[in-house]
Formats: sequence, structure tokens, C-alpha cells
Amino acid sequence: MLGKTRRLNILPIALFFAFAVYMMPGLAGDAFAKEAFAEQAFAEQAFAKEVMAADDDAEGEGEPEIEWSQDVFYKDFEGNPLKGPVSGAPAPELGENDYNNYEFAPSRIILWMANQQHLYFGSFVLAVPIFCMLIEFVGIRSRESDPVMAKKYDMLAHDLMKVSLTAYSWTAILGGILLFTFITLFPGFFKYMATIFRPVMHVYALMFLAESGVLYVYYYGWDKMNDGGFLKWVHCSISVLLNLIGTVLMYLANSWATFMQAPGGIDEQGRFLGNIWHVIHSTLWNPVGVHRILGNIVFGGGIVGAYAAYHYLTARDEETKAHYDWVCYVAMFICIFGLIPLPFAGYWLMKEVYAFRQQMGITLMGGIMAWLFIIQAVMIGLLFFAANSYLHNSMSRVQGSQRYMKYCKYMVLLLIVCFTMWMTPHTIVMTPAELKEMGGAQHPIIGHFGVMSAKNTAVNLMIVTTILCFLLYQRANKKITVPWATAGNCWITAIFVGAALNIIFLGVYGYFLPANQRVGLSVPQVTTTLTTLFAGTAINISMFKDSESMGDIKWGTQSKVGTYAIFLLAISFTWLMGLMGYIRSAVRLFWHVTEVLRDNSPDAYTLTIGEAGKMLTFNTLFVWVQFVVVFWVASLSAKPAAAKAPDAVPVPAQQQ
Amino acid sequence: MLPEQQDILWTFLSLAFTVFALYVFISVIQYCREREDVSLKFWGGIFGGFLLVMFLETVHMFDLNQVQQLSFFFGKMCLTMILLLLVWGIFFKSTKIENQSPPIIRAFFWWTTISVLLAGYTNWLPQQRSDPPPKAAAFIGEVTMEEYAEMGRVIIFGTKQVAGQKAIGKGQCPLCHTFDAGDNIGRCPNLFGVNERGATRVKEDRYLNEPVKVGDKEPKSGIIKGAPDQIPEEYRRAGAGGYDSMTGEDYIRESVMCPTCYVVKGFGKAGDKVSPMPVIVKPPISLSPVEVNAVIAYLQSYTTPGDYANVTVPLPSADGGAAEETAESDEEAPIFVTGAEPIDEIINTLGCPLCHTIPGIEGAEGELGPKLHEKINAAKRIKDPRYKGKATNTKEYVRESILNPSAYVVMNEEENELYPDGLMPQDFKHKLSVDAIDKLVDFISQTEG
Repeated sequence: MLGKTRRLNILPIALFFAFAVYMMPGLAGDAFAKEAFAEQAFAEQAFAKEVMAADDDAEGEGEPEIEWSQDVFYKDFEGNPLKGPVSGAPAPELGENDYNNYEFAPSRIILWMANQQHLYFGSFVLAVPIFCMLIEFVGIRSRESDPVMAKKYDMLAHDLMKVSLTAYSWTAILGGILLFTFITLFPGFFKYMATIFRPVMHVYALMFLAESGVLYVYYYGWDKMNDGGFLKWVHCSISVLLNLIGTVLMYLANSWATFMQAPGGIDEQGRFLGNIWHVIHSTLWNPVGVHRILGNIVFGGGIVGAYAAYHYLTARDEETKAHYDWVCYVAMFICIFGLIPLPFAGYWLMKEVYAFRQQMGITLMGGIMAWLFIIQAVMIGLLFFAANSYLHNSMSRVQGSQRYMKYCKYMVLLLIVCFTMWMTPHTIVMTPAELKEMGGAQHPIIGHFGVMSAKNTAVNLMIVTTILCFLLYQRANKKITVPWATAGNCWITAIFVGAALNIIFLGVYGYFLPANQRVGLSVPQVTTTLTTLFAGTAINISMFKDSESMGDIKWGTQSKVGTYAIFLLAISFTWLMGLMGYIRSAVRLFWHVTEVLRDNSPDAYTLTIGEAGKMLTFNTLFVWVQFVVVFWVASLSAKPAAAKAPDAVPVPAQQQ
Repeated sequence: MLPEQQDILWTFLSLAFTVFALYVFISVIQYCREREDVSLKFWGGIFGGFLLVMFLETVHMFDLNQVQQLSFFFGKMCLTMILLLLVWGIFFKSTKIENQSPPIIRAFFWWTTISVLLAGYTNWLPQQRSDPPPKAAAFIGEVTMEEYAEMGRVIIFGTKQVAGQKAIGKGQCPLCHTFDAGDNIGRCPNLFGVNERGATRVKEDRYLNEPVKVGDKEPKSGIIKGAPDQIPEEYRRAGAGGYDSMTGEDYIRESVMCPTCYVVKGFGKAGDKVSPMPVIVKPPISLSPVEVNAVIAYLQSYTTPGDYANVTVPLPSADGGAAEETAESDEEAPIFVTGAEPIDEIINTLGCPLCHTIPGIEGAEGELGPKLHEKINAAKRIKDPRYKGKATNTKEYVRESILNPSAYVVMNEEENELYPDGLMPQDFKHKLSVDAIDKLVDFISQTEG
């Protein structure tokens, strides 16, 4: 038992470590990045001026002078626009000849489809190696204490990589389709982007080559390097390398999108100012990168969960059912772990959007895109419902969970109340008569729930409820025996009650502050939620030391409702991912590159919500059809010998 | 998607339905071949029939445009699908086959249902399409101050207004500013009475010193504060002087060209030292000199409807900057409708949706004037004792209402009072060709709720 209890910490710690590795450079780095790069750029600028002055002196008059121009984003120490040597042609004024089209669909829709499908697959193939790295690591670490479980972890990672390998080729094909679509339908726009990003595109292609090489060594070397010793560690290290390359790839591709949305490194005419790093590292680069990593993890977890849920439903014997039930659990655990910090990364991204152009932020939150954010709120609510539904249903198969099941209904009630508040719009379209009857654009009572104070409160309470649900799930089959059990329980209760009160207090306090100060209250609210997450989980896990098990989890007895909750989560997240991608891209309105390169195509309008919604549904269904095909193709290869089932049905680390 | 093109979602789903029908057919054939007591001919015939119908319906979907596809998909194809599922269930029940639809089928229906419900939800919400603004303002001939101020209103609010929702034009001002007295959304100052306020504000100490001193250059915009005579020439007021002669117009002009020259207390960043407002004459908004003046004309006059005595900006002249723009923008936004345009373009160009709800025209949900359900209403109105016009049929009535709106003023039954007379422009006869008026009359005569 002692050995098992020690192993219990491995997966959360590994996950935490992985998040820290990915997020710290972005979060910590960004705080200093702009200043540091401004400093560097300032020095470069001064140096370049000196060199030019020297050249001028040496060559005398009559030589062509280098033209200097102001950066649209970067600033020097005094807050004045940074200057750089003009190193490229201005953005072109695109005309009819710069756009091509087919008769059956607008070019913009075709490009959107190609882009979204590639992004979905790209997201999946970037997420799976992260899972594999973690799962393989956990497998290696638990080799001595539980060899059977270690083997199961190893096989799971291997199976996932097999699926990922097929998906990888598919992603590359979709990337090719995207590239050809872009070149053929938007040649003028592509030419400008290619001119600016020429070196980045080549590096990207080379990184893709490196990613492929490492991926093949990692997958095909699995069995040969599985010696249980040094080579296995080397193999696991290759997965770290694979993820590093994958992350660089994603960040390079992100730079194109973030440049289009919030450019830097060019002047007002779109002329390149000679520093490619400025172009790559535009203001949204880091938040979009972190947001996408977290999103990829949730998306990947959803797909793997759905894959396992499907196999669970089709399994004909108990052993297979137990296995896939367990895989569902692992996938959902990773998925929810990524889901919880995702809104905070979203806040960071929006903060940077507002910092870039307040007008762009308001277009998103209060302008033409505002309804899309209401839809996003509904989707997030749906995700939390699905996640909680899975946890509630999963609890029923854990012996000893009856102690906590009675609280589920209250949690559902709280979720419904918060969800209702979360999706209450600030204003809605009304006839003048309705407007008059209600006494204004906002309802006298319900209108209070439409503002950010209420919404921040609601979503933080939903996250705290999900955390509580997860902690109860963790301890469902444990009899706590540590001497400080009562004190520990009191602490956990105090943390959750205190957090709820603090979040509500801050929410109410916000109504008494002006709008610009009210926004700042979201920071302590989020901090409260994160404190609850880390402190609550840490105390909860610490209390499991020497705990007595009230019985194993009955793997393979997951209810159908719980299984379909996984499907719901997977499909909802796919749709949500498409929605947020559309919002991020569409906020440029009629610009290819914001304020620099105008979209003069017939498709430059912003779609109605309904048109966008139909496209999102199509993209979602279409990509899932492809996923099914990919899974089917992956299953065609010979199946490896099944791991010998342990005498007792295996219980994953978190449950013992 | 263009109206004449197919809808990508319904086309995809119809294809998926056909694949499903094929799967069901094959699956049923397999069951029948495994069991001797089940009639292959009978069940194969039924499900083969379903497959054929589904296939033909899918082929037909490619002949329809997206509006027709919507009704056909939900009216016919979904019905066929429900019948297919029903008969499939009867097949399983009657043949006592326990192993029913595999999870992949159930998962597909689950996924499809959720996704289509989400698409339905997005279509249930208010729909607003945002078109890119024209590259430059369009002007032909002489304009009155009323028209010029109206142009300013359109730049601020756009052409379409929906009650309860902030309409937004090229200038994007309502994203942050409010315009009605007492209205405040907390982002930026209310602009009610800004002309008068501006004239007195420039004399205040705070204006003289914060955040930029009068006479200093604000770096972001390059504008010298409190110096109307040093504004870039194309935007400069004719006869502008120095600080001592600053007017409300100068204050507004400076505010849009250099928002950080003066930041209203409580609405700035960094301790009210920096304005969050973009420079309106630069991208992405990039108002031209004529447009800036139009906005100023609107701001100076909207608090006193019909009275333009406070407006100090000059009308655009044919030989000024506006004339230069005319040459390049003639084709982009003509205010004379030739009749060659599609009907929705004619209606939107004339601004009808601003006041009227017009069935068949997207976004035409105005409430200031009567709903245009003329197919039925016109005949009733001709018979109304209050009617003094000359029309004897629907088309004549519609033509008369457009060319002479005051001939008959419709009763607002919700409010139990007449709709305001004189609100509708009286000069459509100068804006419409004979073809255009015919086209418009033909369309509106057929509108019904």
C-alpha cells in the first residue's frame, strides 16, 4: 500500500511539471520580453544609425540613403514608435486580379474549411505526443512498484502514437491542401505574407522534417529501445525532443496568424523594417501560443476519450471494457486538467488584444462579435456540464462513493445557476415597444447579471465546483487515516467556502466600481480559483497517505450516460475550438493584415452568426468523419499482443 | 455563401444520410442472408427503396440554392430519415435481432444532433452582417446641410438601426461613446452637447496643461495641441486661427485627430494621460476630410433636430477635396438608383430598412415606420376613409407612397397613433430611375408578413 500511495502523486506531478515547462517561458518571459526586445531593438537602431553615419562619411554624398520608418507596434524607451530601416515593399493595394474563385463556393469559405481541418489535425498530432510523453514517463516510474500497470501505461502510449502516426500524415496532406488553396485563391495576399515571412517559412519546413524524423525514431524504435533501462530513458527523452520541436513548429505557424491580427515589425505602409524577430514576436504571439497548447491538450484528451469511449461501447469482453474504461478516465483526467486553466489563458489573450487596440477588444466583447462570446459562454457551460456529468457518473462505480454522491445534486444546481448567469446577455435585440415595457436596454433585475462582474463570478464558481467534484472523486474509495484528517477536512472546507465567499464578494464589489477599475477584479477572482485548485488538491492528496481502500474501482462498469458525456465533451470542444478560431480571425473585419493590408475581395464582409454557425457545424462533423477514418486505418495494422490482465482490475494511480 | 450557391452543411448532411442509407441496406442484406426465416426480397426491397429515395433526394439537393435546400432538407430528407430509422427498428423488432445499431451509428447521430442544434442556436440569435466600408466617401452634385449631417450619422451609426442594439458605422464611435443625454456605458464620454462643451473646455486649466501642453506636439498623432491653424491642410478648417480663437468645431476636430491631446477625466489610461481612442483619420478607420466634417456636422446638429444653425463646417464643394473623391468613388456608391441593381441593393441604398420591416430583405427590421406587408395592407388602406390619394390598386398605392409619402399616413396600431408624417424622405423621385421605381413597386407590392 505504501508503494502504491507514493505512486499516486506521479501523474498530477508529471502534468504539473509539463504545464510549468510549457507555460513558464511564455508567462514569465512575456513580462520582460517587450522591454527587453525594445532595449535590444533600440540598441540595434542606434548601432545601425552609427554604421549609416559612418558609411555616409566614407562614401560621401550622392549615395542612396536608407529610409527609416516607424514600427506600427514596437516602441522605444520613451514610448515613441521604434524606427527601423525600410527593408521591403509596401503592402499592395489588392485588386480583382489578386483573387481567384470557384463557382460552387466563396474562396473565403473554402480557405476557412481547409485551414480549420488542418488546424484540427495539427492540434491532435501535437497533443498526442504530450500525452505519450507523460504516460510513458509514468509507466517508467511505476515499473518497480507495479510492473503490470507500468506495462499498461507503456502500451497505451504506444497505441496512441500509432493513431497519431496515421494522423500525422493526414495533417501533412491537409497542410498541403491549405497551402495550395491559399496560393491559388489569394495569390496577392500570399505573396505579401511570403515576402515578409520568407525565412520563417523555410525554417518551418525544416522543422517539419525534424519533427518527422524524431517521430519515426520514437515510434519505430519503441520495441527496440524497450530494454527497461538506459535505452528506455533515452526513448522517453526522444519524446521530450519531439514535443519541443512540435511546440516550435506550432509557434512558428502561430506567428503568421498573430501577425495578421496584430502586426509588428512593419510600418504603416506594411514595409518590413528589417527585424524578423519583431515580425514573429508580435504582441499576441505568446498568449496565443499558450492558449493553443492548453487547447490542444483538451482537444487531444477529448479525441482520445471519445476513441476509448467508442471502444468501450463496442467491447465484447470484460477485460477490454475495463481497459477502455480506464483509458477514458486517463484521457478525461488530462482533458479536464487542461480545461481548468484554459479560461485564464483566454483572459491573458484578451488582455493583450485590448492592449493592442482597445477598439479590437470592444469589437469582440461589445461589438459585432459580442454574440459569438455569448455562444462561447454557452459552450463553456456545456463543457463543464459534460465534465461534471462524467465525474458524477464515474463516481458511482467507485466503492465508498456513496458518502459523496449526495452532494452531486447540489453541485448540479449550482452549475445551473452559474450557467444561467454566465449566459445572460448584456443587451438583446428588442422592438421599441418591448424596450419601453422593460424600461431600458437592460432589465432592472436580470440586467445586473449581464455585466462582467456577474459573469466572472459565475465562471469562477463553476470552475471551483468542478475542482470540488474532482477532489471528491479522488477520495471516493479512500478511508482517510492520517491523524490530522479532521484538520485537513476543515482546511479543505475552509478553502472552498472562503473561495466561494471571496469570489462572490469581489463580484458584488465590482458593481460599486467604475467599469475601468472593475475589470481589475478578475485578477483576484482568478487567483482565488487557482489557489483553491492547487491548495485543495495538495491537501487532498496529502491526506491519502496510509489511507485504506474501501474497494477497487469497478472498471468496465461505466454507465452509458457517462460514456456519452465524453462524446458530448469531445464534440462540444471541437465546435468551440472552431468558434474561437473564427472569432480570433474574423475580428480583423475587412483586413487581411490589420490596418495594413485591406481585404478587397468580394468576401471581405463579416458573416452573420448563423452562417458562421453552420460552417462550424460542418467543420466539426467533417473532421470527426476524418478522425473515424484515421482510427479505422490505424486499426488495420496487426494488433499487438494484449497485456496480461492483472489479477485485480488495475486501479490508476489517482484512485489508490 | 451566395444565395445561388449550395449550403455546405445541408449538402454534407444529405451525403451523409445517403451513406447511412447504404450502410443500413447492406447491413439488412447481411442479416437476411444469415437468417433463413427473414425475407431477403421483402426487406431488401424496402431498404433498397429507401436508399434510392435518399440518393435521389441528395442529387436533387445539388439542384437547389441554399434557401430551397433548407426547407427541402428538413421537410423531405429528415422525414425520409425518420421513416428509415422507424422501419429499421421495425425490422429489428420483427426479426427479433438483438444486436442492433453499432455504437458508431449512435455516436454519429449524437454528434450530428448536438452540432446541428448548435448551428440552429446560432441561427436563432439576431443576425447582423457587417460589410466593409467604402474606401472613400461618395458625393455627387450639391448636398444640403441636412444631407451632410445625415452622412455623418451614417458614418457613426451605419445605415441599419435595430432597437435595443447599438448600430455601428464606419467610424465605430458607438462601440465606446454614447449619444443620448444621460446614457453612459462607461467606456468613453457621452457626446451629447460636445460642441458647446468643447468650446468652453478649451479655456479650462486642465485643457491647457494635461496631458499635453497647448502648443506642444502630441507624438502619436503628430498634431500640435490647441493650434487649429497647424492642423494638416486637407483637414484644416478654412480660416482657422490659433488657440485664442478655438471653437467647438476645432475641439471636436482635434479630438478625433489627436485623442490624447485632451483626455476626459476618468476615461483615459495611465492616469488619464493616454486616450484609448484610435486616431480617426488613420487606419483602420481612416476618415477622409469630407467625412470628418460630416461627423462634426452631425455632432453639432443632432441635439436640435431640423435646426442646423449650430453647424459651422462648410458643405463639401465640387471643386474641393470632395470633388477629387467623386471621381474615384462614382461607381462604388451611387445615390441615384438605375434599376440595374438587385432589389435588396436598391432598398438598402435608399435606406428603407432604417425605418421599415421588409419581408425578404435581410436586416430590414426597422420599427420607425410601418411594416411593409403591402400585398394585403395596400388594398385595406385604399378603402380607408382617411385615404385621400389617387391610387386604385396595390401597385399604384405603393408607387404613390414612395413618391408622395404624405398622401396617406399609416396608423401605428401598437401605439394607437399615426406614424410621424414627414419622416420619410420626399425626394425619391430624384433618386430613382423609371426602371428602378418599377422594380421597387413590383417587389413591395408582393411583400406580406
